[in-house]
Amino acid sequence: MLILTRKVGEKITIGNDIEVTVIDVKGRHVRLGIDAPNNLPVHREEVYRRILEENVRAASSVHEIKGLDELEKIIREKG
Amino acid sequence: MEIKTTRFGSIEIELDKVIHFPQGLLGFPKQTKYVLFPHKKGSKFFWLQSIEQPDLAFVCINPFIANPQYEFDIPDRIEKELDIKNPSDVEILALVTFPKDVSVPQITVNLLGPIVVNVQNRQAKQLVLDPKKYPVNYPILLTHTAQLDDSKDTTSASIMS
Repeated sequence: MLILTRKVGEKITIGNDIEVTVIDVKGRHVRLGIDAPNNLPVHREEVYRRILEENVRAASSVHEIKGLDELEKIIREKG
Repeated sequence: MEIKTTRFGSIEIELDKVIHFPQGLLGFPKQTKYVLFPHKKGSKFFWLQSIEQPDLAFVCINPFIANPQYEFDIPDRIEKELDIKNPSDVEILALVTFPKDVSVPQITVNLLGPIVVNVQNRQAKQLVLDPKKYPVNYPILLTHTAQLDDSKDTTSASIMS
């Protein structure tokens, strides 16, 4: 892993078209500005991971879809 | 075109009904092509079946059925990426998770990572919303009080295979 030190306002570049700017540092919080191409998703790691894990859970859970028909019935009755 | 699926066996699909996720779903970056079809005739639940991986399928639903108050903005860059020109181009889906423990029949919907589909060009993407505002496992059983007027629920009619 590359580790480097930056001051507020300084940047790092990754490849040809990604730029990360250190906007502000307050205590334990660092604000970053990220310029990346539109097709390159940028996410907070923990949020990304939460959705990723839920997707994996969702995909494996469809092997046990007990309750779907019951739920469907409830929805229909409500409707 | 015929595709193989673990759950449904071989099924016939029309190529122009394929939904393309150029980046895949989170956790499944290599599976980029799916088809959508209802769980049963007239069902509110749909299967999102991978074309490339027979055993990969998700159940999804229009999230507004799970929570009528659900709303979010599609960022401009996503509109651009999916080439969305009109609001009517857009369909929203949310993935459903079934409980492992059937004694707690809590079926949940992922409102944190909704799927946006441009029904015109059939390009789709899973968004990442703000976790402070949207739950990843919104319980559907508690909240099925949505308006289920069929005339309003046009979900997916246009993106189904």
